[in-house]
Amino acid sequence: MATNAIYFEEEQLGNSYDVKMLKWLYPLTKPYRALLAGSIFLVVLITLLDLAVPYVTKIAIDRYIVPQSESVEKTYNAVGKHKIRYLTVNITDPHIRAIVGRYQHLFTLEGKTALIPYTDLPKLERNDIVVLRRADIAGIAFIAAIFLALIVANFFFNFVQVMIMEYTGQMIMHDLRVRLFDHIQKLSVAFFTRNPVGRLVTRVTNDTQNMHELFTSIVAFVFKDVFLVIGITIVLLTINWKLTLISFMVLPVVLVLSIHFSVKARDVYRILRVKIAEINTRFSETIGGIKVIQLFRQEQANYNGFESLNHENYTAGMIQIHIYAIFMPIIELLSAVALAVVIFYGGRRVLADSISLGALVAFISYMRMFFRPLRDIAEKYNIMQNALASAERIYLIFNTEEADQEPVDGSKSERSDLQRIQDIVMEDVSFSYVEDEIVLKHISFHVKAGETIAFVGPTGSGKTTVVNLLTRFYEPQSGRILINGRDITTIETRLLRSRMALVTQDPFLFSGTIRENIISGNGDFSDEALNRILEASNCKSMIDRLPNGVDTELSEGGASISSGERQLISIARAFARDPDLIILDEATSYIDSETELKIQEALGNLMKDRTSIIVAHRLSTARTASRILVLHRHRIIEEGTHGELMERKGFYFKLQQLQN
Amino acid sequence: MKSVDLIKPYFIENRFIIVFGILCLTVVDFLQLVIPRVIKWAVDDLTALRVDGRNLIVYALYIVGIAIMMALLRYVWRRCLIGTSRRVEEGLRNTLFGHIQTLSASYFQKAKTGDLMAHATNDIQHIRMATGMGIVALTDAVVLGTAAIGFMAYINITLTLYVLIPMPLIVFGTRVFTRKMHCLYQQVQASFADLTEVVRERFAGIRIIKAYNRERDATDRLETISRDYVGKNLGLVKITGSFFPMMMLFSNLSLAIVLFLGGRQTIYTTITTGDFVAFISYLGLLTWPMMAMGWVVNLIQRGTASLDRINKILETRPEINDIPDAVSIKAVRDTVVFENVIFSYEPDTSPVLTGINLTVKHGHTLGIVGPPGSGKTTLLSLIPRIFDISQGRILIDNIDIRDMQISDLRSQISFMPQEPFLFAGTIRENIAFENRQADTTILMKAADDANLTTTIQSFPNEFETVVGEKGVILSGGQKQRIALARALLRETPILILDDPVSQVDMETGSSIINTIRAVAGQRTVFIVSHRISAVQHADTIIVLNNGRIVESGTHEELLEQNRYYAQTFHLQEIEEGYNGN
Repeated sequence: MATNAIYFEEEQLGNSYDVKMLKWLYPLTKPYRALLAGSIFLVVLITLLDLAVPYVTKIAIDRYIVPQSESVEKTYNAVGKHKIRYLTVNITDPHIRAIVGRYQHLFTLEGKTALIPYTDLPKLERNDIVVLRRADIAGIAFIAAIFLALIVANFFFNFVQVMIMEYTGQMIMHDLRVRLFDHIQKLSVAFFTRNPVGRLVTRVTNDTQNMHELFTSIVAFVFKDVFLVIGITIVLLTINWKLTLISFMVLPVVLVLSIHFSVKARDVYRILRVKIAEINTRFSETIGGIKVIQLFRQEQANYNGFESLNHENYTAGMIQIHIYAIFMPIIELLSAVALAVVIFYGGRRVLADSISLGALVAFISYMRMFFRPLRDIAEKYNIMQNALASAERIYLIFNTEEADQEPVDGSKSERSDLQRIQDIVMEDVSFSYVEDEIVLKHISFHVKAGETIAFVGPTGSGKTTVVNLLTRFYEPQSGRILINGRDITTIETRLLRSRMALVTQDPFLFSGTIRENIISGNGDFSDEALNRILEASNCKSMIDRLPNGVDTELSEGGASISSGERQLISIARAFARDPDLIILDEATSYIDSETELKIQEALGNLMKDRTSIIVAHRLSTARTASRILVLHRHRIIEEGTHGELMERKGFYFKLQQLQN
Repeated sequence: MKSVDLIKPYFIENRFIIVFGILCLTVVDFLQLVIPRVIKWAVDDLTALRVDGRNLIVYALYIVGIAIMMALLRYVWRRCLIGTSRRVEEGLRNTLFGHIQTLSASYFQKAKTGDLMAHATNDIQHIRMATGMGIVALTDAVVLGTAAIGFMAYINITLTLYVLIPMPLIVFGTRVFTRKMHCLYQQVQASFADLTEVVRERFAGIRIIKAYNRERDATDRLETISRDYVGKNLGLVKITGSFFPMMMLFSNLSLAIVLFLGGRQTIYTTITTGDFVAFISYLGLLTWPMMAMGWVVNLIQRGTASLDRINKILETRPEINDIPDAVSIKAVRDTVVFENVIFSYEPDTSPVLTGINLTVKHGHTLGIVGPPGSGKTTLLSLIPRIFDISQGRILIDNIDIRDMQISDLRSQISFMPQEPFLFAGTIRENIAFENRQADTTILMKAADDANLTTTIQSFPNEFETVVGEKGVILSGGQKQRIALARALLRETPILILDDPVSQVDMETGSSIINTIRAVAGQRTVFIVSHRISAVQHADTIIVLNNGRIVESGTHEELLEQNRYYAQTFHLQEIEEGYNGN
């Protein structure tokens, strides 16, 4: 079931969402626009530097290694069939003239210059070449120095750019995470009932993390790869536009293949993710239920189930290999085809002297650079799809219209003011969590200050729901709840809750110190005041036993203290609020009698002089109440003191008898 | 067993495929080196102007031809080598899963579920990477590296030596950086785990947060931990962000050397222009193997470390195992006897149970009560050998249970643990397990006995309702009753119930207790309960305290003793009793 949900969630995403999502995300970058702009500027700079690297090689060849001069244009047919490339030297320099004089048979004189075919250069002494080409050698050193400067600058800019981008991306995600968390915790309790905690946690942790990847990969992709591809195209076009267009003939094929592949790779990637999730679930389920599996000797059946699941994962993995094994080599093949075209067509241009040799070499290098980003497109597409899916899930939560209900009417001053709770009235309240499944039907009751009201009744009769309505975790579908005669919906939720303390069945404590658990959210407390609370809640002796006392860290699951002791701390927490109204959802599970007595005593202290509403699972608790309301099948069927109800010999009486 | 032995069988099984794959990869590598050669010929010919269109088309066709061969061979090696790694992954995971199922309960008390999960996913993935991409990268690095160096040396040895100067820096740098990265990555992971826990805890306790207006605190806490996470990430990025640019710098350094020295040598005509260009191409080819070298070393290191961890788990022998001549038993029809049983979880710790002597006749019911932590659950778990006793004997039909085949012993017992564990399947699967076709009447009866029928009928799909992970859609009481139905369905001679009515209301509880009373007589029942009403009809009731039997007898006898049992009974009687004012 869970895996279906994952799959469904991923399937929801259509391409039309992509643009919408990007539009929605864009405002998040607002505080960091300057940094972003800086990062993009650096990307452009880096791209230019990347592009400059082959260009420097081109200059080295064309200007210094095989200089192209006017004389090349004037090459003439020396041997009869072949054209010959000549080196031109200036013979006004006496050293050069001396060398030319020594190899007269190799040089052709043309005014103040002498020409020598490149093929004849090896026949010269090395020292002579050094003299002849002094300027070229110096030029090479110069070019190498420039190159060195370029690559060092490239390294530096790259590093700075990555740091800026990462910082920006992380901070945007941090902001989003905090906002999302804050938004989620303001959603109504109904939202939490419908959505498993695990899923919500994933939204705040993994999904925001994925968005960070979206951000960095978009900057890296759009601004780096796209710039690079565009830049290379421009450079290629300026070197020779005809050659560029011809070698780009393979591009439409590359494009179509990339899109096709991206879709296929994405599909199989999703299947693999689902399979791994299922394998993990199976593993954790097996570990969690190992005793049951062993006691009921289900090892073989369970193994078989796992094996077939694992094999599905293997099959999906093989499909992925197949897809990559086809795509990657084909892209390489197409890049080789483009190279072949460059060699063939460009080579002829070189022969026809419409392109220099250096240009051709540079062209080859650029063509190779051109295909690199294309090969990674699929991978980046996956990341983007994945991230956009996360973005959409987060977007959906932000657009959940289920915030905690705030006052619908009443002036501001009225809202922010609530006197001590004097009386509570429920008037003909009906409620259902899900449509058609009524939980409370026409419930009416009145509680006056100082009273203790107990709700009793079988499981599922709606006792806990009454608590959920009083704390405004839920809103009734019909009827009203009045506090001091005011409709509960006109009172600010925060204010309302600050007047009451909820003690739940499961004493939920947070990891942190005992002190934090008790006082956090309730303002400052002096040690003296805290001590009084600890004593009244029967926590004192237990906490004194702990080495760090009230500053003891409660670890995950709080192994160091028992569940009864946790219950005591939760009572202390209620004390710290000094509430007018205690709402107690009594624990169902049995705790040892000694701790139980302590808890009862602490609860007694807590309820003293306060109004209390108790959901009683044990009739013994109910008996001490000033009034008992018996819920059965979503209605209040009996009401009165213990004595009155016993005399009636009704439902309550029968419940009592059952336990005998 | 050596860790390597774990993956050896897969290599042997696929040895031809692997060898063939490596062969293809090697050929691809060589072909890859030929292309710069072709470019060199073309450039040389163009420099010397000794080609025409016909020669050029030959060169172009060479390139395309080579590329087609490469594409085909690339497909083959990817399938062969990476495919094998998937096979290793599948096999290892199966082995691990199968093994984990055989381990004893004591192992799972020590091991964290999260760690085991990490082995099942991360470690196995590391091994897959090491055996797949690891082999590929290693072959690539060796073949391409030596060949590229060879070709360069063939062109000019001195220049080659100069060019290779930055290379050790690349190999060394990659290793240092990846190691550092790994370390920082773990810090990031740890911070992420903290973040997850903070969020999880706050969402799980959302009612308390809301009821106590603690939203501000919660957001502050998240903000702090999220900032820590951002900080850890930036720390990691400092390394990763400088790594690739630095590798590029090193490899470009070689290029600078080629430009300077190679350019001069071309001018001196020591090498041709074509050589110069080819040299640059080879250099491009060399960068990847050099980086791969560093990468592959880390990949393999991580893979071996993972393999060691997996091997450690696989070497763990189940503590509870069949002895060599274990007796096969068919049906238990006599007494269960505890003889001076002493038990402690760890050898040197104080015993949880001491001096337990018990005789439970066939068809009798033993009730067990006692304060929390007195050893009740432990005592029950000794019977199906979830744990083995430290001293003394447990005999069933006069046979020491340690001499029996475990699966035979367990087939005689139906056990309902204290914490009901439900699997993600349907209600039917959870009750009947492998007995998928379990007679519906039997299933209905078990459900009825466990007071489940109404609950099940309230679901649209009844028995076929999928309960979700750990039975998430059910209430505690419903889960408990499903676990009870599971135990009741199997008509075994021994029935063990650990606190079967702790999470159900009084009404349901009484009805379940009636069911249990009904089966007593035909089956030997061990029942632990906090509610006296669940045990008071037992033939014998024992009270445990600090691992010892402190009271023993029938309900009436124990009431007369007026100790823990009687006190608890009266306390509950007052609580539960009516008119007790």
